[in-house]
Amino acid sequence: MGDTVRVVIVDDHSIFRSGLRADLDPSVDVVGEAADVASAIAVIAETAPDVVLLDVHLPGATGVADATGGETVIRGSAPTASRFLALSVSDAAEDVVRVIRAGARGYITKGSSGVEVSSAVHAVAGGDAVFSPRLAGFVLDAFGAVAGETAVVDDELDRLSTREQEVMRLIARGYAYKEVASELFISIKTVETHVSSVLRKLQLSSRHELTVWASERRLL
Amino acid sequence: MGGMTTAVRAAAAIAPPPRPSLVRARECLVTGAAAGLARHLDVPAWLVRTVLVLLGPVGALFYVWLWAFVPWESGVAAPSRRVPVAWILTSAAFLLSLTYVPLYGDPYAWTLWGYGGMSSARAMVVLVVTVFMAAGAGLWAALVDRADPGRGVRHAFLVRLAVFALLALLLYGELTRLASGGGTVQLVRTSLPLVGAAVVLSSTLILRFRELSGERVRRIKEEQRAEMAAHLHDSVLQTLALIQNRAGASSEAARLARAQERELRSWLYDGDAPADSDLPTDLRDYAGGLELDYPVRIDVVSAGESTERASGEVAAAAREAMLNAARHAGGEISVYIEGSATSVDVYVRDRGGGFDPDAVPADRLGVRESIVGRLRRIGGSATIRPGAGGSGTEVHLRLTQPGGRHG
Repeated sequence: MGDTVRVVIVDDHSIFRSGLRADLDPSVDVVGEAADVASAIAVIAETAPDVVLLDVHLPGATGVADATGGETVIRGSAPTASRFLALSVSDAAEDVVRVIRAGARGYITKGSSGVEVSSAVHAVAGGDAVFSPRLAGFVLDAFGAVAGETAVVDDELDRLSTREQEVMRLIARGYAYKEVASELFISIKTVETHVSSVLRKLQLSSRHELTVWASERRLL
Repeated sequence: MGGMTTAVRAAAAIAPPPRPSLVRARECLVTGAAAGLARHLDVPAWLVRTVLVLLGPVGALFYVWLWAFVPWESGVAAPSRRVPVAWILTSAAFLLSLTYVPLYGDPYAWTLWGYGGMSSARAMVVLVVTVFMAAGAGLWAALVDRADPGRGVRHAFLVRLAVFALLALLLYGELTRLASGGGTVQLVRTSLPLVGAAVVLSSTLILRFRELSGERVRRIKEEQRAEMAAHLHDSVLQTLALIQNRAGASSEAARLARAQERELRSWLYDGDAPADSDLPTDLRDYAGGLELDYPVRIDVVSAGESTERASGEVAAAAREAMLNAARHAGGEISVYIEGSATSVDVYVRDRGGGFDPDAVPADRLGVRESIVGRLRRIGGSATIRPGAGGSGTEVHLRLTQPGGRHG
């Protein structure tokens, strides 16, 4: 991960943007900032960053009535090569799931340290998904893993495979990818593949529980 | 003057119990006004009632004034009245109508006054009073007794049924008289029972209106709360997140900010928590407390729902494990709760120096024993092992609940 990653920070609080900017690794190059939906879409189009750090809640959301601003930015920027990492002030599951279903590659809470955010940025830039323990717990719940539902075929969208469940459980227990790998005797790359596949299911599944669960429960 | 000063001084020295404030008793005869006044003046209630009666119209006026302006004593229970006002009014109206109704139909029928003994004016007065009492009974039953735990909806329905029956009887009589002529006066008399019925029916409208305005107030409150939540979310929660972010995970400032965030969040979103909360909620609260006392950051994640309660042994053991981790390891602690209908799993994972069974001090061994032993006693299991990659410790509590339910 020697290369620098070009990043745009989208958040309507300038104090948060500058704080985050100061905290990020030197390997993360902040090439732009935006405070609302319209300017975010413009800045992303102009700078074409590797990763967009995107607040879930932004002013200026348009389109779907209850869309959060973050969701609108992702949909408004398409098609783009930039990857999105959602930032959330430990929010309602509904909002986080919406941004992820809109295309974000993961989410991280705003209370995370600069180091954590930087490594998440690198992970997302490298094509991986970023799963917090809470999101993992939510996924286990929403895909019926707790109730014992298991996908028979790996690419079944509405359920998780046994391996995916194991990975999610370990992440929920606070394991880093590396620790998950050593616990399950698999390579980190495999762990990342599983996580990405879960993210894909989270984005594509039509499982009705996803929205129902999300609106009933707060993730954090 | 001197005596008064002394009295005041004595009073100040002894500090007599304060006079009970003037409120209406919730357990009352009719309105609680007399009982409340009696309590306030420290005299027997019958005395107050006698004086009020003796005062005549003035007493009545004063009573109504008390009724209107003196608040109920504090409490949540709906006031319950021992005197069945609605039935008394209904019975009185029936009795009064007996002096009147026989005038209908057979003109030679017996009445208290005898036929023709009752002048038109007097009959009018009797009719007005009867209708008035009947309507009063109906209104009282619908507006006052409905909320009374001792009477309720059924009672209100019965009273109104009786009232409508009486009014229908009166209407029928007046209509027959109207048919045999009687002019404008008879027309007015005929309309009276209808007016009474309309008044009784209006109580339904009043109730509906009350419900609607209550609903409106609730909605406004809810909206205000949501607005405030949105505002605090945008400003305060963001700032608290920033503080945590800037201050470093386990610094004092970050811990305080985190605790505040937790508190604010639960106030904003959770509403009233039940006394015996579920396992995740309880452990989350406990984690909040630990974060204040120790330099730790505890992430509590839960999936699924379990029947396990905060008062259960699993919760107690999990709290013990969390306390242990906070005290001996510090830093980042992860708690994961997975509950299904038949089992519950709790993982408490720290990233401390790890644990070595031989080097564990006796007190820590005791704590471990209380975790392991506790679970064993209720038929579950607890395993303590080094965390992944050899760093820290992970405690795993597991309880299978045969048949889905267990203490």
